[in-house]
Amino acid sequence: MYPFEYRRASTLEQALRMSADLAPAAFLAGGTTLYDLMKLGVERPVTVIDVNRIPELSHLRLSRSALVIGSGVRMSDLADAREVRESFPIIREALLAGATAQIRNMASIGGNLLQRTRCTYFRGTHPCNKRVPGSGCSAREGIDEGQAVLGGSEHCTAVYPGDLATALLALDAAVDVLGPDGARSLALADLHRAPGDRPEQDHTLRPGELITAVRVPATRMRQAYTKLRPRESYSFAWASAAVTLSLHPDTATIEQSRVVLGGLATRPWRVRAVEDWLHGRPLVEAVALEAGRLALRDAEAGRHKAFRIDLGTRAVADALLRAGEQHE
Amino acid sequence: MSDVLRVDAREKVTGKARYGADRTPEGLLHAAFATATIARGRIVEVDTAESEALAGVVSVTTRFGEDELGPPSFVMGGGYGTQSLQPLRGDRIAHRGQPIALVLAENPVVANHAAELITATYEPEAHASHLDADQAETLLQREAIPIPFADDLTFGDAETDMAAAQTVVDATYEHPAQNATPLELLSAVVQWHEDRLLIHEGTQNAGALRNGLARQLNLDPQQIEVRSRYLGGAFGQRNAQHPYLAPLVLAARRAGRPVKLVLTRQQTFHQASFRPQTRHRITLGADATGRMTAAVHEIDQQTSRHDLFPGGYAKVTSRLYGIPSYRSRQRLVRNDIQTPGYVRAPFEQPGVWAFESAVDELAARVGADPVAFRLANDTSHDPVSGLPFSSRHLGECLRRGAQAFGWEQRPLAPGDWTDDEGNRIGWGVAVGAYPANVTPARARVRVEPDGTVLVETDGHEMGQGLTSAVTSLVTRELGIPAEQVRVRLGDTRVGAQPLTAGSWGTASTLPAVQAALEQLKAGESGAEAGNGLPTALADRAANGLVAAAGPVYGEFAAFSFIAHFVEVRLERVTGRIRVPRVLSVADCGRVANRVTAASQVRGGVVWGLGAALREHLVTDPRLGGFLNASLEEYPISVNADICAIDVDFVDRPDPLLNSSGVKGLGEVAMVGVAPAVTNAIWHATGQRLRKLPITIADLPAGGRRPPSGPSTGGSRPTG
Repeated sequence: MYPFEYRRASTLEQALRMSADLAPAAFLAGGTTLYDLMKLGVERPVTVIDVNRIPELSHLRLSRSALVIGSGVRMSDLADAREVRESFPIIREALLAGATAQIRNMASIGGNLLQRTRCTYFRGTHPCNKRVPGSGCSAREGIDEGQAVLGGSEHCTAVYPGDLATALLALDAAVDVLGPDGARSLALADLHRAPGDRPEQDHTLRPGELITAVRVPATRMRQAYTKLRPRESYSFAWASAAVTLSLHPDTATIEQSRVVLGGLATRPWRVRAVEDWLHGRPLVEAVALEAGRLALRDAEAGRHKAFRIDLGTRAVADALLRAGEQHE
Repeated sequence: MSDVLRVDAREKVTGKARYGADRTPEGLLHAAFATATIARGRIVEVDTAESEALAGVVSVTTRFGEDELGPPSFVMGGGYGTQSLQPLRGDRIAHRGQPIALVLAENPVVANHAAELITATYEPEAHASHLDADQAETLLQREAIPIPFADDLTFGDAETDMAAAQTVVDATYEHPAQNATPLELLSAVVQWHEDRLLIHEGTQNAGALRNGLARQLNLDPQQIEVRSRYLGGAFGQRNAQHPYLAPLVLAARRAGRPVKLVLTRQQTFHQASFRPQTRHRITLGADATGRMTAAVHEIDQQTSRHDLFPGGYAKVTSRLYGIPSYRSRQRLVRNDIQTPGYVRAPFEQPGVWAFESAVDELAARVGADPVAFRLANDTSHDPVSGLPFSSRHLGECLRRGAQAFGWEQRPLAPGDWTDDEGNRIGWGVAVGAYPANVTPARARVRVEPDGTVLVETDGHEMGQGLTSAVTSLVTRELGIPAEQVRVRLGDTRVGAQPLTAGSWGTASTLPAVQAALEQLKAGESGAEAGNGLPTALADRAANGLVAAAGPVYGEFAAFSFIAHFVEVRLERVTGRIRVPRVLSVADCGRVANRVTAASQVRGGVVWGLGAALREHLVTDPRLGGFLNASLEEYPISVNADICAIDVDFVDRPDPLLNSSGVKGLGEVAMVGVAPAVTNAIWHATGQRLRKLPITIADLPAGGRRPPSGPSTGGSRPTG
């Protein structure tokens, strides 16, 4: 671990100013990922700007049209919030499937969305285009059982591991951002990027931009999140799926659905083709399994990761069936 | 008198218990290692300039003189060390992660940062990191280590009897390398007082640290004091002197200040011993009546390039049943790794997993119920020595367990049992055994002026509850409350402190304490006694060498036994493997302390479940070392993976082994859990999976659809 400067901001304006003046800087919320990566020498900010005392970031508001989640809200607080329990069970499900109770007590929603993609070699000392651009990819010819099966490039197949973003994408969420050029809002679908030839860049935020809030449109859709993993806590997904859907009140066929894969791709991976295919079909097991197969149709089996394609299929099927069992 | 609870529980949960690295003597310096980034080769140059320039760095050492840092010795080669490779003493790199420089600094942050700044150039060489690697070298163990301890076991005529057998199972089982991952990181605080050396380190073997350091650094053992009051988990990983200790002591002497080292988790994975990868070929034969007539157990096991870590798999698989003909063949496969070693049930976990899997396959092949088949092949005599077992209640473990588990509800055929939700159900059984060894121990007891009874004895408190077991014994013998008993152990000031391992701790220490208590009851105010082992063994132990008697004694052979019953459920859509309940019935002689004993068994079961379903070290054969060297990525089980574990004991004193009637428990607890799981998975699916760990990836999803009408699925058993 190298020495770095720690600053605390008490307003958003101050945080942005510090970020501009003290670059290269990183915003610090829960620190559950940032400090980890700094200890490994993967992230090397010179200044760390603590945004935990900025009041606007810790709000949680439910209106008729949307749930607005301050980016500084803790994972555990959001999972336990009445608004979430009652209206967005998939958010709670995804949050509780992530990390451990101790980490959830610290980690913020904004930080959670921006967690780096994962690859065994990224955190080691082996060649890695993501850690040292141009140094090569150790996973390509190596142990790739945990790598992305969708959205990879020849430079990188690190996988986006977040459970929350997967669920939020199935809710069509958006994020509010504040930066040197002012405030803007973008669809969550546009926040994460595939590695392409710049694997060091996981997201589309501009330098100095800070996520201030997440907006989740109100919904009456049924919802479920299924996560398959090596152990039942403190483990990233081998495969996960978030599903929201509505059924036709008379025919019980699928009217509308969103299907998102987690832990399988280089970013949260919505599969619209499957959503189109599901339209008008009955929610029965054979349909759910076929939807799962369709969702993974373009997946790459690599050297050791074929099993995750199968697990992805099962995760989609399970999430669809469980969502269907819910009361509207 | 009611059972004594865990006497150190309050200290531990309130954070009062002080572990080795909790010591912070005045003037303390902090140490950190830079480590090799190749798997095998030679160091050309180590660049320490940037590191040495850092403010707060006191010293950076890349090489100690061969005269000041003597050669290390391997604990299994008549020495004291976890391996015979001493880093910082030459230019050879034997494995990825080997230390190449030692930094001392004023605080741990600077020490670690300085270590990160050290780079090296190497001449790399081709290396081997697994059993089938090109560069691996395979040796026949009995030729490589020509001593009886390492010899193959042979009795009867396995080849002839196998040829005559009615039914034969011949299968190969793959067990991965695994790590013990004790929560407490490897660490030590070393401090010189003039020419006296004080070591604080959580170790199972304070005697080896004392004598090993003395030999390597040319000191008198009497100059060295080692204290190991608590261990935050050991499981064999702290059973000898680690290669970091001698350099640390030398650096502290040069600096004239005490030094603390805490390895990082990555380093603990790469410098400490681990459970080696093994492959087991099991051949079993049965006659027309379902009696097993012949068994062959062939093993390939990883060892390091620089040490021969002897496998002892046959010692237990030869004794699980009364099979008249048996042959083992043990090979060692040299890889470029740190020397592997003992991890809870070191040979018995992998060996019995393979053997009990094959037994289950054989039972199915002859159409027998797996419990009945095992009972039919039980024995009262040790087939190896021909002697009677001192006690063997394995049959009762099986019968009692079957009864409590509801075994009679189990359908005989596999792959045909589902619950109301369509999840597949499987029930499996397996047995385990573990040798009852004993090591020399002495104990002193004294009544203090305030009425407290002070017990000073050999043995280490690894969390297994030795302190509580001693306290239980004293309260029972003297009729005084636990609060009036004080126990000191793991400290070379009060004893020689030979190795505590192999489940012999309680069975070795209690008889010594008991003998001393007898003297006390006879009217002495203070007394000292040994546990009655021969002088030759006691002398070895007093010099910090491994000295164990058993499991074959003059008139009998002594083993602990256990039977495990496991239920698995495989979720219909996801295929997720769940283990809703386990029942274990152990024969460990008299139960010394019911609270800590039950906890020991649960811990063994938890680990067995992890060994079967999750744990394996991942190696990239191009790179060597371990890729998943963190608690985050090495998947030990978490609470959410574990459901009901019921524990029962036969609790009958062993009449022959020792005066306390106790046999070991900690290791046998884990033996047989993994095969009970895999046998249950077979029962649920009809698939024999012969490679651990078995995960969701190995099993196709989809049990039977849930019944549309009234439930016809398997009853939800209660247990």
